[in-house]
Amino acid sequence: MTSAALIALIPQLILALGATAVLLIGAWLPMKRGWHYVGALLALVAALLSATVQPAALDVAGLYTSAPYARFCSVLWSLTVAATLFGSGRYSDQRRFGGSEYTSLLLFAAAGMNLLSMAISLVGLFLALEAFTLVLYILIAFNRNCNRGAEAGLKYLVFGGIATAFLSFGIALIYTASGSFMIAEAFNALRAGHDLTPLGLAGWAMLLVAIGFKISLVPFHLWTPDVYQGAPAPVSGVLATAAKGAVLTAFLPLLTLLGDSGETVRQIVWLLALVTMLGGTLTALVQTNLKRMLGYSSVVQMGYLLLALLVGGVSGGKALLFYLVVYTVATFGAFAVITSLAQETRELQDYEELAGLGYRYPKRAIALAACLFSLAGIPPLAGFFAKFILFRTAFAHQYTGLAVVGIFASLVSVYYYLRPVVTLFMRQDEKRIDCSGSVSEYLLLGGCCVVLLLCGIFPEPLLALVAAVFP
Amino acid sequence: MNAATPFQFPLLSLMLWLPVLGAVLCLVCYKKPDLPRWVALITTALVFLLSLVAISAEPAASGWRLLEDCSWIPSLGIRYSLGMDGISLLLVILTTFLQLVAIVISWRQDKFPVLFFPLLLILETGIIGVFIALDLVLFYLFWELMLIPMFFLIGVWGHEKRIQAAVKFFFFTLTGSLCLLIAVISLYLLHGQQTGDYSFALDALKQTDLTATQELIFYLCFMAAFAVKVPIFPFHSWLPDAHAEAPVAGTVDLAGLLLKTGVYGMIRFAFPLFPHAAEKSLPVLAVLGIIGLFYAAWIANLQRDIKRIVAYSSISHLGLVLIGLAAWNQIAWEGSMLLMINHGITTAAVFIAIALFHRRTGTRDIEKLGGLWQSQPNLSAFFLLFCMASLGLPGLANFAGEILILIGTFTSHSAWAILAVGGVLFSALYTLRMVQGTIWGPSCEPFERQDLLASEWLVLIPLAILVVVLGCYPQPLLEVLRDPVSLLLQGGHP
Repeated sequence: MTSAALIALIPQLILALGATAVLLIGAWLPMKRGWHYVGALLALVAALLSATVQPAALDVAGLYTSAPYARFCSVLWSLTVAATLFGSGRYSDQRRFGGSEYTSLLLFAAAGMNLLSMAISLVGLFLALEAFTLVLYILIAFNRNCNRGAEAGLKYLVFGGIATAFLSFGIALIYTASGSFMIAEAFNALRAGHDLTPLGLAGWAMLLVAIGFKISLVPFHLWTPDVYQGAPAPVSGVLATAAKGAVLTAFLPLLTLLGDSGETVRQIVWLLALVTMLGGTLTALVQTNLKRMLGYSSVVQMGYLLLALLVGGVSGGKALLFYLVVYTVATFGAFAVITSLAQETRELQDYEELAGLGYRYPKRAIALAACLFSLAGIPPLAGFFAKFILFRTAFAHQYTGLAVVGIFASLVSVYYYLRPVVTLFMRQDEKRIDCSGSVSEYLLLGGCCVVLLLCGIFPEPLLALVAAVFP
Repeated sequence: MNAATPFQFPLLSLMLWLPVLGAVLCLVCYKKPDLPRWVALITTALVFLLSLVAISAEPAASGWRLLEDCSWIPSLGIRYSLGMDGISLLLVILTTFLQLVAIVISWRQDKFPVLFFPLLLILETGIIGVFIALDLVLFYLFWELMLIPMFFLIGVWGHEKRIQAAVKFFFFTLTGSLCLLIAVISLYLLHGQQTGDYSFALDALKQTDLTATQELIFYLCFMAAFAVKVPIFPFHSWLPDAHAEAPVAGTVDLAGLLLKTGVYGMIRFAFPLFPHAAEKSLPVLAVLGIIGLFYAAWIANLQRDIKRIVAYSSISHLGLVLIGLAAWNQIAWEGSMLLMINHGITTAAVFIAIALFHRRTGTRDIEKLGGLWQSQPNLSAFFLLFCMASLGLPGLANFAGEILILIGTFTSHSAWAILAVGGVLFSALYTLRMVQGTIWGPSCEPFERQDLLASEWLVLIPLAILVVVLGCYPQPLLEVLRDPVSLLLQGGHP
C-alpha cells in the first residue's frame, strides 16, 4: 500500500484507530459521557477531513476509492455516528453502558460504513459490510438488562448470517462469470453479451437477496421492526439510517454499471420496489408502537429509494443522495426523540404512553412531529423536495407506474406518520410520565429540525452539492 | 416580469413573510403566555395595513398591480415569483382582515397559546401565498402550508370530535393535492421536453402543447385539488365536520378563506392552463353547482347544530359561485368574485356570533337554544344582521354578488339561473329556522348573562359596517375586479 493510498484513507483510519485507542485507554480511564464526546469529536474530524481534503490518489489497494461520491457518503455516515454519540450520553449513562466500549463500537461501525460506500471491489464491499454488521450485532444487544434487546440481537445475527451467505455466494458466482473482483471490470465483463449470462444472473439474484436483507426490502424485511424495537434507541437510529444508506450507496454504482444488459435485474428490482412500497405501507398502517412504525416506515422509504436506483446514472444518483440525506436526518431525529424521551429503565414506544406528552414536552414533541412530517413529505420540510425530486426523476425516466404507486403510498403514509403526532398533541395527558431531557439532546434535535426546514425552503445548496458529487 | 424591471419595494414578500416572523417571535417568547397574543395581534395588524397599502399600486398594462420574481431553485426550474392583480388584491385584503378578526376573537384562548397563535400566523402566510404565487411549485407549497396549521388548529383546539374531523380534513385535502402534484410534474416534464425550458412558471406552462386527452387528465387532476377545497358537491363531506369541530378562529379561516383558495385555484390555474378542457367541463360544473346549492341547503335544514347549519350554507353558497363561474361571462364572474368576498365576511361574522352564543350557553343545539334576544339583545341583533346578509337580503353584503351571478347566468343559460334562484330561496328557509330557534322562541338559560364585552364589540362593529357598506355600495370592488376578470375570461394574462 502506497503512502498516497494511506493519505486517501486517513478519515477511515482515524475512525478505526481512534476506536481502538478509545477501547484500550478506556480500560484505564473510566469516563462515561466523556468518551462519547471524544468519539463524537473523532467522527467529526473524520467527516471534516473527508469533506475538505481531496487526496491525490483515488485508489486504495484496489479495494476502495476516495472519489467525491464515496467521500460525500463518508461524511454523511461519520456525521450520523458523531450525532448518535453526541446525543446518547444520558441514555447510555442510565443504562450503564460502558462509555468507551459503546463509543469504540460505534466508531468501528462508522469506519465500516465509510468503507462500504467507498468499495470498488467486491472483496472490499464484502469486508466493509461484514465489519459494520458485526459491530451492530453487539450494539443491538448492548443493554444486558433488556430481554428484547437480546432477542433483537439474535434475530439480526441470524438474518445477517443468511444475508452474508447469499452475498458471498453471489460474489463467487459473479467472479466465476466475469473473472474479476473489481466491480467495474466484473460488470463490464457481465454486460459483454446482450443480456446477462445465467451465471451472472444467478450471482445478481444472490446479491439482490443479500441487499434485500440488509436494507429490509419486502419480503426480506421481517427482522426490521423486531430489531428496531429491541435495540437501544440510538442504535436503532444508526441501523435505520447509516447502515441502510451505506448499503444503498454501495449498490447504486452496480446497477448503473450494468447498463442496458441489466433489463432482467431491473425487472426484479422493479418488482421489489413495488412490493416493498405496498407491503411496507400496509403493515405500517396498523402499528401502535413508534419504533415498529419507524421500522416499517424505513421499509417503505427504501422502496422509494429503489426508484432512484432503478433510474440510476447521474440523475438517479442525485435524487438518491438528496433523498438519502433528508431521510437520514428525519429518521435519525425521530429516533433521537425516542432516545431523549426514554426513562431510567425503559423507552416510551407505545402510542398510549405518548398521549398528551406534547403539552409537557412541547420542544421534543414538535421535533418528532417535524421529523415525521418530513418523512411523510409535507412541505415546507425537506422531505417534500426529496420526494418531489425523486418522483420527478422517476416520471422523467418512464417509471410512471411505480412513481404513481409511490405517491399513493406516501399519501397513505401520512396516516401512520400522523398517528403519533395526534396522540402527542390531541389526547389528554393522563399518565404524567416524567422524562426530562439533556442539553445535548435538545441541541441535536434543534439541529435536525433546522436542517429539515432549511433544506425544505432552500434546497439549492444541497442540490448543488449533490450534483457536484457526480462528475 | 422581465429583468428590466427597476428595483421596487418588496411589498408582497413583506406581507407574505411578516406572519412567519411573528410566529417565530411568538415561539421565542414561549415563557410568557401573554406575549404571543400581542405579537400575533401586532403582526396581523401590520400585515393588514400593508395589504391596504397595496391598493395604491396601479395596475400595469399586463394587468398585474405588483410583481416579484427572482431565482429560487434554478436546478429544478423553480422560481420565486409572486404577482397580485385585482382579484388577488381583494382576496388578500379579505385574508388579512379576517385573520386580524380571528386573532382578536380568540384573545381568550387559554389552552397552549404559545402554539395557537403561531399556527394562525403561519396559516396566514399560507393563504396569502396561495393568492399571489405564480410559480406552480411555489403555489403548491403554500397550498400545502395551509394544511398543517389547520390540522393542528382543529385537532388540538377543537371541540369533542376534533381528532376525527382533523384527520378527515387532512386526508381529503391531501388526496386532492397529490393529484395536483402529479399533474404539475407531468406538465412540467412535457413542457420541458417540448421546449427544452424546464420551468414551473404559469406563463410558460400555458404555452405547452397538449393533446385533448392529456389536457383533460391534467385538468381533472388540478380540479381534484380545487374541488375538495371549494368544496364541490360530491367532495364536500369533510367540510361540516371540520367547520363544526374547529375553534372559532379556525372556522373563520376555513369558511372565510380556505374555501376561496379552491375557487381561486380554478380561475388562476386550472382554467387558463387547460382552456379547452375547462370549456367542456362547464356544464358539469354548473350541474354540480346546482346540486350543491340545493343538496347542501336541504341538509342544512335538517341539522340541529347551528354551526353545522352555517357550514352547509357555505357549501350552498359556493355552489352558487360555481354556477357563476360556469356561466363564463363578465357579469357572472364579477358576481362570483364579489360573492366570495362577501361570503367570507358574512360567514365569518355568523360563525363568530355563534361562537359567542356558544361561550355563553355551552351549546350549539338548536333545540336547546332559544330566546337569547332577552338576555343578549346586542349580540342577537348582530347575529340577525349577519344572518340576513347571509340569506341574501337586498342591501346587505351577499345580495350584490348573488344578483350579479343570477343576471350573468341568465343572459347565457337561463335555465341554470332559474334553478339557482330556487336555491337562493331555499337558503332563506334554513337561515330563518336557525335565527328563529336561536334568538326567539322559548327561552333557554345561558350560564353567562353578560352581553357583549368590549373586545367583542370591537370585532362585530367593523364586520357589521362592512356587511352594510358592501351591500349598498359594492362598486369600488367591482371596478377593481373588472379588468382582471375580463383578462382571465379571454384566457390572456393574468
